[in-house]
Amino acid sequence: MNNSYKGLRKTALVAAVTALGLLITGCGIGSSKNSDPLVIGISLPLTGDFAQPGGAAKKGYEVWASLVNEDGGVLGQQVELNILDDASSAEQVVTDYNRLINQDKVPLILGTFSSLLNFPASTVAENNEMVLVAPAGGSPKIFEPMPKYYFFAQQATAPRQAEPFVNYILSLPESERPKTAAYATMDDPFAGPVIANMQALFEAAGIKTVYSKVYPPETTNFQPFASAIAKAKPEIIAQGAVFEDGVNLAKGLIQIGYSPKAMFQTSAPSNGAQYSDAIGLANTEGIFYAVSWSEKAPTPMNAEFVARYQKLFGAGLVPEEDAADAFAAAQVLQAAVEGTGGTDNPALADWLRANEVQTILGPLSWDEIGRPQGDFLLAQWQSGEVNIVAPDVAKTSNNLIFPKPAWTK
Amino acid sequence: MEIIQVLSYGILLGGLYSLLSSGLALIFGVLDIVNVAQGAFLVSGAFLTWQIWDLTGIEPILLIPVVALLWFGLGIIIYRTLFVRVAPQGPSMTVLLSFGLALIIEGALNLIFGNKFKSVQTSYSLQSYKLGEINFPAPQVIASLAAAVVLVLLYLYLMLSWAGRALRATAQNRDGAALIGISHRKISSFAYGLGMATAGAGGVLISVSYPIYPATHYEWISKLLGIIVLGGMGSIPGAIIGSMLLGIVEAAGNTYAPQWTILFFYGVIILSLLFKPEGLLGARSRKDSV
Amino acid sequence: MKSLRFTKAKKIAVLFWAILILIPVLLPDSQYEQSLLIVCFLFAIMASGWNILSGLAGYVSLGHSVFLGVGMYTGAILGRETGVFTFYFAPIGMLTAMAFAFLLGSITLRTRSHAFVIITIAILLSVQLIVSNWVELTGGSNGIIFRSPSWARTAGNTPYYYMFLVVLVLTVALVRFIMNARLGAGFISIRDDESKAASIGINTTQYKVIAYCLSAAPYGLVGAIYSQYLGFINPTGSFSILISVYLVLAALVGGKGTLWGPVFGGFFIAFANEASTVFSGGISARVLIMGVVLVFTVMFVPQGLLVSVATMLRKRLAKDKTVEFINQAAIAERDAPLNLNNVKRAPSKAKADSSESILQVKGLYKSFGGVKAVNGVTMDIKRGSITGLIGPNGSGKTTLFNCITGTYGADSGIVIFNGTDITKMQPWTRAHMGMGRTFQITKLFKSMSVLDNLVAPLEKPSARNMLANKMQGEEVERAREILDFMGLSSFEKSNVSALSFGQQKLVEFAQILMLRPDIVMLDEPASGINPTLIERLSKAIKKLNDAGTTFLIVEHNIPLVLGLCDYIHVLSAGEIMVSGTPEEVRNNEAVIEAYLGPDTLLEGLDV
Repeated sequence: MNNSYKGLRKTALVAAVTALGLLITGCGIGSSKNSDPLVIGISLPLTGDFAQPGGAAKKGYEVWASLVNEDGGVLGQQVELNILDDASSAEQVVTDYNRLINQDKVPLILGTFSSLLNFPASTVAENNEMVLVAPAGGSPKIFEPMPKYYFFAQQATAPRQAEPFVNYILSLPESERPKTAAYATMDDPFAGPVIANMQALFEAAGIKTVYSKVYPPETTNFQPFASAIAKAKPEIIAQGAVFEDGVNLAKGLIQIGYSPKAMFQTSAPSNGAQYSDAIGLANTEGIFYAVSWSEKAPTPMNAEFVARYQKLFGAGLVPEEDAADAFAAAQVLQAAVEGTGGTDNPALADWLRANEVQTILGPLSWDEIGRPQGDFLLAQWQSGEVNIVAPDVAKTSNNLIFPKPAWTK
Repeated sequence: MEIIQVLSYGILLGGLYSLLSSGLALIFGVLDIVNVAQGAFLVSGAFLTWQIWDLTGIEPILLIPVVALLWFGLGIIIYRTLFVRVAPQGPSMTVLLSFGLALIIEGALNLIFGNKFKSVQTSYSLQSYKLGEINFPAPQVIASLAAAVVLVLLYLYLMLSWAGRALRATAQNRDGAALIGISHRKISSFAYGLGMATAGAGGVLISVSYPIYPATHYEWISKLLGIIVLGGMGSIPGAIIGSMLLGIVEAAGNTYAPQWTILFFYGVIILSLLFKPEGLLGARSRKDSV
Repeated sequence: MKSLRFTKAKKIAVLFWAILILIPVLLPDSQYEQSLLIVCFLFAIMASGWNILSGLAGYVSLGHSVFLGVGMYTGAILGRETGVFTFYFAPIGMLTAMAFAFLLGSITLRTRSHAFVIITIAILLSVQLIVSNWVELTGGSNGIIFRSPSWARTAGNTPYYYMFLVVLVLTVALVRFIMNARLGAGFISIRDDESKAASIGINTTQYKVIAYCLSAAPYGLVGAIYSQYLGFINPTGSFSILISVYLVLAALVGGKGTLWGPVFGGFFIAFANEASTVFSGGISARVLIMGVVLVFTVMFVPQGLLVSVATMLRKRLAKDKTVEFINQAAIAERDAPLNLNNVKRAPSKAKADSSESILQVKGLYKSFGGVKAVNGVTMDIKRGSITGLIGPNGSGKTTLFNCITGTYGADSGIVIFNGTDITKMQPWTRAHMGMGRTFQITKLFKSMSVLDNLVAPLEKPSARNMLANKMQGEEVERAREILDFMGLSSFEKSNVSALSFGQQKLVEFAQILMLRPDIVMLDEPASGINPTLIERLSKAIKKLNDAGTTFLIVEHNIPLVLGLCDYIHVLSAGEIMVSGTPEEVRNNEAVIEAYLGPDTLLEGLDV
């Protein structure tokens, strides 16, 4: 070892030990402890792959806090949100919830976005016996370890998103019912199961599969897909899309002028103007998707939610579905706290298993391991707007467009 | 019929890729820098196009000279302030610098435009030309044609202007070029600027064909790297041939086996670097000898 | 003074580990701090592992997190199949990662610099895609989820904390061991100059693969633990390009090629990451911040923060030290004894001692593009001779050297050394057989001291030799004796770049004597060095030659060649024009005309 190296080693060690000292004494990069408000800890993907839904969910939580605080808070306490960014990374989610629970000592937590991140979040929550109401994360996998504290705050787990559309198609009279279907789905833990389940249900009902392909998330060019699908001449086209891929396949189909009798996409059509701007408003006519929420739904608090969202983030903006899901998750937690009269987490979990909660998504209830027991809504673009067309109780329109009109260029 | 359709999609795609990859090849050929920020430069060019289009409604293709010129200037500044200092430390450090730039651009785009997809709409966005049963999507046709025009201009410039010849001389033999009075520093920043100008022009073209999003630069750069590796890294003709081949492969992959298309790109990168590092066009001058 | 500083550093190291060990005990209520430190450990482990391949051996990988993913999936799949927690499979994770690195390294390490960087990224992303598509084995994009151990509820992160800490300690110990061993010196020599390393007996292919495997080992080990800690893994999270970039950033910030730099950097990046989580307040600035840190590091502190600070401190301390006066004449006059056994092989080993030729070149061709650099050279080098090789610039002398030592493969023709056909052999094998050469422009390992340069050559390839401490044993004794013989003892600890060009030439000469060569090939040993050192050099050559070492010398200094050599070949345009004794060459008219005329003689001396 020569001298220079020794000097270096010393500097390094001094630096490392200083850093450790800071960690132990100061600990806490900016931890805030204020006993007055009721602090709710949340980790969200504000950067990285899931930044778009994460940002929307943040808005949803903020709208809820704003409305609740105006109304006198929860159990008389003002609510304060402690939101950390997890950068869409699993290890950061673990650190974040550990920080929130053990460092910031928040009495309550709410879930993050996407199943991928709610998986690790739920392990931390289980280990700390904290109720985790999640606005997203309906992958059936997440319930495999039989969680006790995890509650998914949408109507049903992911694969069941397919059901409203399948039920509608199968309810058509024999003569009108499509006979063939094409399926394309991103290799994605949420979109994949929806399409797989749909294909299984349709095949069981005798609808022939004429095309079925899985593509990786990096895929950008969809004209070849459109051509191949058009060649198979399916009457139904169902795509397990996230966003960009949904837009690109629709554009490809428009360009070659192939319009099926019914078209279903996951997620992409729920993005409002982002979607209609990209494929042209007129071309959205008749496109189906499954959804947890509609801004027109007559559910309690829904109008207030939309109004406050617009007040906070811009007049005329339609809230994202993800924002509504986050709002609903907060409503669920609020109901449990008010129902038990406190923040004892095991009691909250018991209460949620036993009760039904009214949210802007409609009533939600759960089984023993936190799986929701409801049904998704079937939405359709109609004359440039989105309407809920099934089930009957949530309908915002009695009109239903079938078959889908041809594309307009 | 299907084969012809697949081929035409592939060639259209290849036309666009030709322009996108030529800048990367140029920068590598002259400067020995693997500019992994090229994807980020493309995407930021596309965002700029979207912003101007959104404000003015102008036909995006007309913005090619504007964005290209702006990016050219920006490229010269970036090279003179950043790369000049790092280049002597060797190729690995320039790759890291370039990666850092890509992260900065991605982060800045996130801050400015938010994490949302943006799409430029033109009168031909959803149009398509038909030749019998074969379908030619209008945005791709227009993008490929525009790419070809820009490439021809670039080619003429490199062949006819003094700066272009100096640049080619440097790419072939750096020391020799220095001996006949070509300032390496000047020609380097010029080459980097030119490479970025193609990224600006390419950014305009991708904005008319695809929804854009800050993080998509990773997808672009991995494709473009595959292309120039196949074409021999520093060669623009190689990049064009690589673009055509991988464009066709992508179209065919997406038609027949979409889940493996991307893997094919990576496979091409790995195999050609291992077994034919000089690329399809072969000869690369002997840089290692004393 | 020195020993005091050493103890101080050691004390700080002990304190550092002690604090880490005691944190969970002293602060039982520190679940969050522990989870943050776990991330610090993880990054420190990854940056240290990366350091073995990229910091020491100089092969920069931007896809190193592939080995973390391999470890995670190995643990996860075995855990799923057996129903046991994944961390029990950490050792298997390590072996799998090493085996994978062995496979990858054997294929990819033939590429260099750019190509290697790109290939590592491409491999990371390919593996991610394959894992996504191999649903039966890996669960595809849905990933794999694990149940938590029953103790997780009461013990929290503490057991994981200690598991990660153990891996960190093992990793630091591994890097320390490598850096002290001849193996590590071999890695650094590859980083400094790979072809030179090969010429002094280092099997660079083997060393690089070993570096790759060792650098993957900590990843595999920690991966299997990490997957259980997360409770869930999927392809995009396990094979992430961003993690790869962050870990490289960590190593760079701390200082690559050092023991503690990557550890410090790992902690630094983990803290910076946490700070941007806490302070960002919802602004998407993390990527931006990491980008700025990366650009800043590359631009201003490419050696790493720690190294830069240490250098600054050292400069301040060393300010008043005067430069030592070096008496060149004394160097030339000093006549240290040399035990010839230290620079010669045992006679039994020098095979076919009886044959008259030690080196035979037959019909050797080598061309580059259209240029025929060596155009059918045939020559015999007599055992025990001092043979000169002269010829104008560009006549193919150095290329001929390169073909003989294996730096280039010849296009055709054969080379026979000590009776063995070595045409197809690797440079290091030739070195092990007793062939040593110097370079026209010296190729010493710039980051090493003179003594380190001398102990770098590997005379015999054996595992024991590679793992031995580089500063112990007879090698060091031998190196000191040779340095003394060359009159270089006083420079033992200096960095080679502090030496004059002439001194560097002597060091390189001394360096190859460590191989106990039968033949010493010197490429322009006298060019650019002062007369005193030339005298020193000739003395050394004569003394070794008296003891039986053969010399082959390329030189422009014609008086030196004529005075020193027994036999001379004159090379012109890649062909041997004339061969003969100095007397014959001196009197050959063609040579006089083409080469030894008064003008060209001056030119030759001038070089």
